Amino acid sequence: MFKKVLIANRGEIAVRIIRACRDMGISTVAVYSDADRRSLHVALADEACHIGGSAPTESYLNKEKIIDAAIKSGAEAIHPGFGFLSENESFADMCEKSGIVFIGPTPEAIRLMGDKITARKIAHDVKVPLVPGSDGAVSDVEASVVAAEIGYPVMIKASAGGGGKGMRLVRGKDDFESSLRMARSEARSAFGDDSVFVERFIERSRHIEIQLIADSEGNTLYLFERECSIQRRHQKVIEEAPSSAISSRTRKKMGEVAVRIAKAVKYKGAGTIEFIMDQDQNFYFLEMNTRVQVEHPVTEMITGFDIVKWMIRIAAGEKLPFKQKNIVMKGHALECRVYAENPETNFLPSPGVIEYLRTPSGPGIRNDSSIYNGCEITPYYDPMLSKLIVWADSREAAIRKMESALREYIVLGVKTNIGFLIRVMNNDEFRKGKIDTGFIERHPELLKPPVLQIEPALIAAALSMSSPESAGQPAQKPASNWKLFGRRSGLSRSPLA
Amino acid sequence: MTYTFKIRDQIYKITLEKEDGQLQAEIEGRSIPVDFEKIEDDLYSVLIDGKSVSMGVFRKGKKVQVFIEGELYELEAVSEREQRKTSHIVSGIQEIKSPMPSRVVKILRGEGDEVAPDEGLIVVEAMKMESELKSPIAGKVKNVMVKEGDAVESGTVLLVVSSE
Repeated sequence: MFKKVLIANRGEIAVRIIRACRDMGISTVAVYSDADRRSLHVALADEACHIGGSAPTESYLNKEKIIDAAIKSGAEAIHPGFGFLSENESFADMCEKSGIVFIGPTPEAIRLMGDKITARKIAHDVKVPLVPGSDGAVSDVEASVVAAEIGYPVMIKASAGGGGKGMRLVRGKDDFESSLRMARSEARSAFGDDSVFVERFIERSRHIEIQLIADSEGNTLYLFERECSIQRRHQKVIEEAPSSAISSRTRKKMGEVAVRIAKAVKYKGAGTIEFIMDQDQNFYFLEMNTRVQVEHPVTEMITGFDIVKWMIRIAAGEKLPFKQKNIVMKGHALECRVYAENPETNFLPSPGVIEYLRTPSGPGIRNDSSIYNGCEITPYYDPMLSKLIVWADSREAAIRKMESALREYIVLGVKTNIGFLIRVMNNDEFRKGKIDTGFIERHPELLKPPVLQIEPALIAAALSMSSPESAGQPAQKPASNWKLFGRRSGLSRSPLA
Repeated sequence: MTYTFKIRDQIYKITLEKEDGQLQAEIEGRSIPVDFEKIEDDLYSVLIDGKSVSMGVFRKGKKVQVFIEGELYELEAVSEREQRKTSHIVSGIQEIKSPMPSRVVKILRGEGDEVAPDEGLIVVEAMKMESELKSPIAGKVKNVMVKEGDAVESGTVLLVVSSE
């Protein structure tokens, strides 16, 4: 097993990985940008190394700096988390060439699955059903021809895409041109590549994905499915496992199909095959994520399988000691992504300082986060504050538990989507499992509180006027020029220098 | 003691008084018994007519944030003079401000263009996400203060729309 691992990420996933390492007796190296000196992952790691400016390109996307930090600190492996460099083939390759283990699949598997068009081809070759669409990236003219051929509504997607960026739904011919332009512009700024493809849009589709884990000897297991149909702007907000929409037959079929795709690219580590499913349990391959997913905890809760630890063990050469039949699921788990954002203004991010924080606790409640009283949510990174996860013996009980946990949450200083999440938990369709990826769009009434609790708010405000002003948190002092000079010249106080 | 607060552009009055050792809140002619404990600096336990409500409360000067059951309420203590000022209707000259530090991606309407309420004016990008800012009123674009590609701070005036 590794003695030291560098975590090339920030936020809650960095904290999650650090905790896994600690449990395994592995010492940890954090990397951080200018904006993140006060972040929790820096405080929790055994060592920390400053790698550059606040903009991701200057730090968390800076491959050379991160490899350098790993070499200097003597870390034997790098865990990339999700986002940033987690699906970057050349980074995985650079790790390999520098004699550092990349905790994830081979650069080749990342390359094959990273390009959505190649991935579709591979899936097609192993007889996995695909959504009808263009055969690869298309020009503006071809795109409109394909769209007319497969019939509206259609979806325009960035070839290098993910997380809903560079993705546009087009309901009719009239909107096609402007949507195509927007998709290309978003794709260019997010991925530096504006190639797109076109696909048929499946009405009332559900997003179902299979969690996979594979060791380097090709033992590949599926850890059942997650349903992530509650999305806003094509980004997941609420995830659950198992899905209430599939039979055990479909589950088995999906799992086996997913394993087939993974084997086709000699996949190693944790990965996820995403499917889109219609109302009749017909499912089509969407893409493979060659990394740990944000929503991996719901799978951990129903299987008792620690995905992050197994990623590390597999990277260190350990073999999976289980067979598919040993993997069983129990109960139901839900995850809510708590964001600093305002549902009333189309989920606009709300950066700021967390002035006060109280998080829920109790049996079956897990809160994966990296925020604390006084921490700043900067505009540089994703505005996710935490992932609130609950487990209970049934879906109904899990929803009740989630609702009560959300009610215990208190966040001051930034706007959050907590009220919105509570309203989803109380929604009749959601409770009955009648969900699809258009759920939020169909329920605009959930974006606003139906009844404002003006009375208690007034009472609290009046009470606060008669007591001293909130102390607030000590303001973060800007780094002094001496400190910046020191960093630039590599004279940091970091133990790695 | 009487306080006046503005919540979501509405004005409310509340009076807090102690009668025979019992705290009473008076809101719009209704009197409600209140019991109050400060658990932490920013955590209040309040019994409102016997109903227990836990609230996060953060005050800075005249501004108070109250968090109740998932919802953040932003209140502002206002004086008599300010109360009269805030009662104007949504017309006249409206400044479209950047809601957060962001980058101007696209200007959809130029100076002199006629706009309808809810019509998109400008696209800004922040936190890896594009959002379109819309006109709150019918009118004409009076000024465009930024250009595409500009990095702007939170509160920067991007466009001015006039209904005249």
